[in-house]
Amino acid sequence: MNRAPPLLELRGIRKVFPNGTVALRGADLNVRSGSVHGLLGANGAGKSTLIKILSGALEVSGGGLFWKGAPVRWTRPIHAKAAGIATLYQHVPLVPTLSVLENVLLGSKGTWRQRAEDRERVGAILDEVGYAVDLDAPVASLSIGQRQMVAILQALSGGADLVVMDEPTASLSNPERRTVHRIVRQLAGEQGKAVLFVSHFIDEIIALTDEVTVLRDGRATLNAPTDTLSEEAIAEAIAGREVVTLEREHRAQARGEVVVEARRIASPGTLAETNLTVARGEIVGIAGMLGSGRSELLHALFGADPAATGELWIEGERLGPTAEERVAAGVALVPEDRAEQGYVPAFTIAENISLPTLRQFSGAGLLPRRSAEHAASVAAIERLSIKAPGPDTLVTELSGGNAQKVVIAKWLTGHSRFLLLDEPTAGIDIGARTDVLRLIRRAADDGLPVLLVSSEFHELLALCDRILVMRDGAVVAERRGDAITEQELILLAGSSANPDAGAVAA
Amino acid sequence: MSVPSTWRTTLGLREAGVYYALLLLLAVLAVLASARGFPPYLSVQNLGNIAYQASLVGIMGVAMTVMLITGNFDLSVASVAALAAAVMIGLADSIGLAPAALAALATAAAVGLVNGAIVQFVGINAFIVTLGTLTAVRGLVLLLTDGRSLIVSDPEVLRAMLVFESSRVPIFWPALALAALLVASGIAGRARGSGGVGRIAGGLLLAVLALVAGPGADLAAPVIYLVVFTAAVWFVLRYTIVGRHIYAVGGNAEAARLSGINVTGYKLAAFILSSVAAGFAGVLFGCRLGAINPTALQGTELTVIAAAILGGTSLFGGAGSVIKTVVGALLLFTLTNGFNVLDLGANYQGLIEGSVVIVAAAIYTVGGRRAARRAKRPAASPVIEEPAGSATVAKEA
Repeated sequence: MNRAPPLLELRGIRKVFPNGTVALRGADLNVRSGSVHGLLGANGAGKSTLIKILSGALEVSGGGLFWKGAPVRWTRPIHAKAAGIATLYQHVPLVPTLSVLENVLLGSKGTWRQRAEDRERVGAILDEVGYAVDLDAPVASLSIGQRQMVAILQALSGGADLVVMDEPTASLSNPERRTVHRIVRQLAGEQGKAVLFVSHFIDEIIALTDEVTVLRDGRATLNAPTDTLSEEAIAEAIAGREVVTLEREHRAQARGEVVVEARRIASPGTLAETNLTVARGEIVGIAGMLGSGRSELLHALFGADPAATGELWIEGERLGPTAEERVAAGVALVPEDRAEQGYVPAFTIAENISLPTLRQFSGAGLLPRRSAEHAASVAAIERLSIKAPGPDTLVTELSGGNAQKVVIAKWLTGHSRFLLLDEPTAGIDIGARTDVLRLIRRAADDGLPVLLVSSEFHELLALCDRILVMRDGAVVAERRGDAITEQELILLAGSSANPDAGAVAA
Repeated sequence: MSVPSTWRTTLGLREAGVYYALLLLLAVLAVLASARGFPPYLSVQNLGNIAYQASLVGIMGVAMTVMLITGNFDLSVASVAALAAAVMIGLADSIGLAPAALAALATAAAVGLVNGAIVQFVGINAFIVTLGTLTAVRGLVLLLTDGRSLIVSDPEVLRAMLVFESSRVPIFWPALALAALLVASGIAGRARGSGGVGRIAGGLLLAVLALVAGPGADLAAPVIYLVVFTAAVWFVLRYTIVGRHIYAVGGNAEAARLSGINVTGYKLAAFILSSVAAGFAGVLFGCRLGAINPTALQGTELTVIAAAILGGTSLFGGAGSVIKTVVGALLLFTLTNGFNVLDLGANYQGLIEGSVVIVAAAIYTVGGRRAARRAKRPAASPVIEEPAGSATVAKEA
């Protein structure tokens, strides 16, 4: 463990957004040269805000930022970059049509597009880290892991002293993950750089880092050398939660018979063969980190993944493979990205709600009756407590939470027989979250089988009868919703040490 | 779409700008005509002429609008029209007009199917595919005609063509009836709270026009075809499930697909509609002349697209109105007609027409951006209602 003075020191960093939201309430962080520092925290703990402050994308509201011992204040990303901090975001911003070399040199100054010494310099960096890639290949032809490496090269060619990596391994395959790990170790070891490594995978943090900081509710709740910590201690520091969105309710009614049966659902490269059943009125949760295959499972079940194989049966009827056939048979998906996949922006609330089941609102099965659509939308606005002037309001005029309720309302007009929800509470406020969770519970109480994906594990715990844990494209564990704690879920999803790994996935 | 219409939004510059532009242009031309001592510009006969000249582009423009709403693009319409005309003229002497016209429409539909299948199943951009068929189909026309003009020689067929294309249809009573229908439906719509302002305004305008024209007014058959086709497509878009799905497919294809709508089917159908409409325009064109020149209608596809843009159709899909496209076509042909009739110097014509298209697009874009800013403000900053600590939760999975 390196005990040199910190390269970067944050003291009591606070961040209050103009609307009064407090994202960080006095966070401390020390990152030393020649060491890998792990940063963990649940959703909303303030990790992303902290990274944005380090990279100069956000200004601090209070507290001190010290770089190489001197107080600094960055107002633009270029300031942090010039000082020697390179930030690698989850979604690597590269230009797909340019070559690897040109992407690596994207931020460099000068007149000429191609210079011999640049090629040599980048080649030298490649030799140093021991990674091979064709510098002239267009980035579009690379895998996600290779792109990650291009972004790392970009950071190194800029001569960074601190490399901040925001979940660099989340969407990588295992060999690619090992390459990233090797290079991170090499950066900190041989080259003496500092690395701030953000990850949800606790085993990865334990194996890779020298020091760990855990954020919770905008504060550092744990800071210690990694070799003094256990996976359980880290999980506990992440989980301890004060705000509970929805209390678990004992669901008295007996579970109905099994109505949904998925057999050997798989997708090459992203999802191992998976079998699952959902009973009438049952809520089954899928717990998994980003890249665990949770969204891939939903898309395969919905028919939105053309490469997917396997069968979906509802009430003894085998459904066709396409999304159109599955929607017609009553499969409903509330997608992860509501603006891109959930609603038609130019449509009103009423038009969006009636979209999947327009026929049932139409005279002669052809002419939509505005009065019927209106009545259904007014009822939905009432029942889901959507805050909107009326059914003729454009869906783009609503806040995120209310737009999400419209996307859910689309599927609650009586036609659905199997409800799939992908992160239904992402990016919406706490009041709307509670509404959405209640809504899901009510839909299940009405007899709908529900499959719920969420990275908010406490929501799964509050809602689900059964929880399947996914990692690396496979279901690795299955638990009863009332027989597991959030800590255990974090451990199961974020660590390889699973007692029943493989038992359920087969 | 069915954003609640008020007098202010419906009659505002962005919504009704193309109508004002047409009225303004007619007024300017009328003043110029009287200042220069020409016969009155706003005669029933001259207005009927403009509509006649605009009818082919109008028919293609209506189908093009549907195409643009679904988020695709068709550059090949003029070549397809020429191909249909060549097929019809080439066959009419031997098999008669009606079978020849049907063969022409079938040929056009086949080209549309090819266009759509390549775009939807191979996944090439519609702009590129139809740029290719624009040239290839024109080449096919040259092959069919061997580079010469084809003419119809059978007098029977020529007479049938004349009836189909050049007969005059009395319109006084039908126009008054249609006007009454529009106003009544508009009033009923307002009573139910779903639009209607445009229908009332249009109905009143139509009634005034009919009364001014007098009981003897008549119009050329192609204008009637245009009116009927436009009305049918308008009805489908405005009132049926098919129409709603077409807007949804163009507005957000992914959301439409995840709602169980057959996105590929709708986009393919739009290609076929566009080509069949072009084929029909080609048949009318062939009947008008009784002959076809292999270079006929060259460049017309750009006029068709310009008409749709003048009508406010979005090139990104999801928005557009067929009636406004027709008005856009009328606007373009009023310009041409004005330059010819008033002898305003034909050299300026292209410059003015092009500028008009750009100004119109600028008005729509700037106006649209303002409207979008107004509409998006609450939604664009979801941070407003984030709870403590989760301001960045959306992407932090």
